[in-house]
Amino acid sequence: MSATTATPSVFPSFAEVYQGLAAQIGMLREMAPQPTKSEDRRLKGAIDKLIEETNADEAVWLESCIHCGQCTNACHYFQSMQDAKYAPMRKMDLYRRVYQREISPLRWWYKLISKPVKLKDFEEARELIYDSCTECGRCTMVCPMGIDTASLVHHMRTAMVEAELVPPELAALRMEQLHHGTVFGSSPEALRKMIDTIREKTGVDIPLDKESAEIMVLSSAVDLVANGNGLLATARIMNHIGADWTICSDGFESANFGLLSGDMSLWAKQVEPIVAAAERIKAKTMVIAECGHAYPALRWNPMLRSGDLPFEMMYMSEFLGKQAKAGKLHLTPLDARVTFHDPCKTGRRGGAFDEPRAVLNAMNADVVEMPNNKEYNWCCGGGAGIFLLEDATKLRDESFKIKIREVNETGAEAVVVSCASCRLNFESGRQKNHWDKRVESLVELTAAHLDDAKGADASARGAAR
Amino acid sequence: MAYEATFGDVLRSQGVSRRAFLKFCSTTASLLALPAGTATAMAEALSETRRPSVIWLSFQECTGCTEALTRSHAPTIENLMFNFISLDYHHTLQAAAGEAAEHAREEAERENAGKYLVLVDGSVPMLEYCSTVAGISNKAMLEDACTNAAAVINIGTCSAYGGIPVAKPNPTQAVPVGHIIKDKPIVNVPGCPPMPLAITGVIAQYLTLGKLPELDHLGRPVAFFGENIHDRCYRRPFYDRGQFAETFDDEGARKGWCLYKLGCKAPVTYNACAHLKWNNGVSFPIQSGHGCLGCSEPGFWDMGGVYESVATGKFGDGTRLGAAALAGAALGAGAAVLARRKKAHVHEEDAG
Amino acid sequence: MSLLEFARGPAIHASLIILVAGIFLRLLGVLVLTRGADLSRPRDAFGNFKGYRTVFSRAWPSSEFTTTTIYQTVMAYVFHISTLLVVVAIVPHIEFITSLTGLSWPGLPNFIGVALGTIALASLIALILRRLSNPAVYNSTLGDYVTWIIVALPLLTGLMAFAHVGLRYETMLALHILSAALLFAYMPFSKLMHAFWFIFSRAQSGLAYAHKGVRI
Repeated sequence: MSATTATPSVFPSFAEVYQGLAAQIGMLREMAPQPTKSEDRRLKGAIDKLIEETNADEAVWLESCIHCGQCTNACHYFQSMQDAKYAPMRKMDLYRRVYQREISPLRWWYKLISKPVKLKDFEEARELIYDSCTECGRCTMVCPMGIDTASLVHHMRTAMVEAELVPPELAALRMEQLHHGTVFGSSPEALRKMIDTIREKTGVDIPLDKESAEIMVLSSAVDLVANGNGLLATARIMNHIGADWTICSDGFESANFGLLSGDMSLWAKQVEPIVAAAERIKAKTMVIAECGHAYPALRWNPMLRSGDLPFEMMYMSEFLGKQAKAGKLHLTPLDARVTFHDPCKTGRRGGAFDEPRAVLNAMNADVVEMPNNKEYNWCCGGGAGIFLLEDATKLRDESFKIKIREVNETGAEAVVVSCASCRLNFESGRQKNHWDKRVESLVELTAAHLDDAKGADASARGAAR
Repeated sequence: MAYEATFGDVLRSQGVSRRAFLKFCSTTASLLALPAGTATAMAEALSETRRPSVIWLSFQECTGCTEALTRSHAPTIENLMFNFISLDYHHTLQAAAGEAAEHAREEAERENAGKYLVLVDGSVPMLEYCSTVAGISNKAMLEDACTNAAAVINIGTCSAYGGIPVAKPNPTQAVPVGHIIKDKPIVNVPGCPPMPLAITGVIAQYLTLGKLPELDHLGRPVAFFGENIHDRCYRRPFYDRGQFAETFDDEGARKGWCLYKLGCKAPVTYNACAHLKWNNGVSFPIQSGHGCLGCSEPGFWDMGGVYESVATGKFGDGTRLGAAALAGAALGAGAAVLARRKKAHVHEEDAG
Repeated sequence: MSLLEFARGPAIHASLIILVAGIFLRLLGVLVLTRGADLSRPRDAFGNFKGYRTVFSRAWPSSEFTTTTIYQTVMAYVFHISTLLVVVAIVPHIEFITSLTGLSWPGLPNFIGVALGTIALASLIALILRRLSNPAVYNSTLGDYVTWIIVALPLLTGLMAFAHVGLRYETMLALHILSAALLFAYMPFSKLMHAFWFIFSRAQSGLAYAHKGVRI
């Protein structure tokens, strides 16, 4: 795409970003915290957590499974590994055992006939709960009972936090976020530095900490410490549409390792400063950076009464789509056949299907859907933190081959994603498989196709002159 | 008794032709599933047979079984055969009365020790003096009569399985003969009343072949009770087609459709009614428009209503099911409330 | 008391009491649990209501899954429909239901009943064969096999009694009623409860996804 090359290459390409980040991820394992509590307390904590988290919804889902096996083939990890243990229904077995023994109406009976749950059971479940489930929810789409396995796996993750069995990479990042609010060594200083760099090298202005603004934009650690292009692209688009926007140095981090690890209190804690900052600056819209899980962490946060908040939260792709539909985005044509990959967290489990496609249509791109798309999209295999897990490397790499097949079938030359995790995983898969497709980020692609002659900033410049 | 007439003499004196007699023998032989040549042998043996001694004991009964045998529409070989046997004791039929009658029984028992047959109709009350004959309780008389008997043949459902006297609440604590007599061969010929041919068939086989017929698990001759009435019923095709009389006066009833829904017990009743029929093959209950009562089966009087179909669950109304629903709901809700408390407790611990 | 009397008297009565009590126990024991609240703002104000659609829409898998699910879906439908028809449309069963509820309706001729029962049993066998031949896909537990046997027994004994095959009719009938009693008593404590759960389970997921504007 000609437009892409026109962008001044201030920052490294995403291929290089990926390689740099991969090296950094390798070090996470060493930083992982060791268990601090006694085994008994870890076990009790995990079981108590599940007791606490189990409501009628979870109970019904746990009761409903009939082992019909339909979900098995719907899971990308089973499809690629053909190993019984990766069947989605297996991922709730331990949860069900705890449920049956502690909460179910027949618990007195189950206490007699089922084995007591041990910490070892949780240890064995770790691979199923983290490494081999991206909580993508594709199994729910085929389940005749409609069981929401992904949410059950999420509850298991909350128990795993209590059992201190979070995989080392996620555990390390969780601790970092617990203490610093951000991850990968990112910080308000890093944000300021990045904004300065962008201003110096490209002349693009990013309004930081405005007292009030209509739009509050979030960033993410990956953008700040590795991929400057993400923030740059966002800024260019915001300026293009002439938005009254800002980034708050006390509430900019989209990434939420509370959600990814299963630490509900960290999840909630991480959301607080962001909401506070948005309320302070009287924002009307909060735009969540292209970081898939940040969308459920904020927009679909079940602990946050977001209907009462004075602002609306939307994902980057949603925001772009709305602008495109409103005619505010003036884009140059994209003369290519592309396909769009719906990230699980914003697509099947987020509902933002139309907007990203509206952006691509605004570029007059030849958008071809994959055989399984939208609600039925195959997960790329890197979501829910799995991209970071060394133990999941094989699972990730094997399951990505499904994605390669799906994209290849469209005949597209590029696949557009709108999620940093998906993008990293696609990049990893592209490099490992010497795949001839390009992987584009929706926000960067949009920025590259801005029609500078027509944007709001252009007219503002014209008016100033 | 200088000369005891043979059965052949009796038949001849009654004007029965040899042809008719042979027909009876071959029918009986085929019913008993005996080899083809047996009919002639049976005819020979029967006509030469001396009058066998039979003691007929009637306990808690209605005399219906005797009636069925003796009140046939026309004189048949069956009842002629009854004329032939030496019915040494039968307090309804015998001429003797009082002490003379009891004396006849005692004498027959003594003279034919080990050879005579005991035929019983009626059940035996264990409340001993609910039923007595000549001051002797039924139980005592039965035990006494059976001491030297060759075999016991229970005529009718009462003696075979208890029948109506045993029906709830069984005020006399009646029992079938088999509950008291354990050391003699017993043949049950149940029915209320039993089919005459079944009675005579058993006796004929015993007299000619010297052995009792093959019995099913309820002690009944397989030859007469081996088949399900439902399987032999001429109305079976209607059952298979799903055509049922719903009431006794509807179109289905008039058209002779299956009586299953009107409580016919034929599917669970084993007897020869449907193919041998009654009154010289004239009819049987189902043919006359009423469902089978299952009278030849144990406990027939207590197996639910006469007009309740075989498939009916026998447990009254649904009150207990309603109670079970309420109890289950209460237990379930209780369990859930306790679980909610547990959750709240765990939550507090977690927070604290 | 004969076996048949036991079967259609105390046995079936007890099993129905267990069935009814067990179903209510398990349903209420779960449904009365606290309801978790999703406080986030739904995508559109009335969107959640659309979630109930999933109760019906999930009756057939989406075309994306056809290859992997068609065999089982078709077999399961054949099994469920033929079994349901056998249960409610042959005369002896109607008579039983009538004796319990007073309701009555016309039945099917015997040959159709036998055909349906045979089809039901055949589809059940087809399903277990697939379960056995794809162990990785099904991850079967002991409970899965026990349930299969308990479901198959009434069909088998019913057909045998109906066709007068095997033991004496009243014994087969008694065994049939006993196997149905076993099924009734087992039902509330097994995965057969999916007969009820599917409504709640589908509705919940439908609502959860509709909340986010996703139609599943």
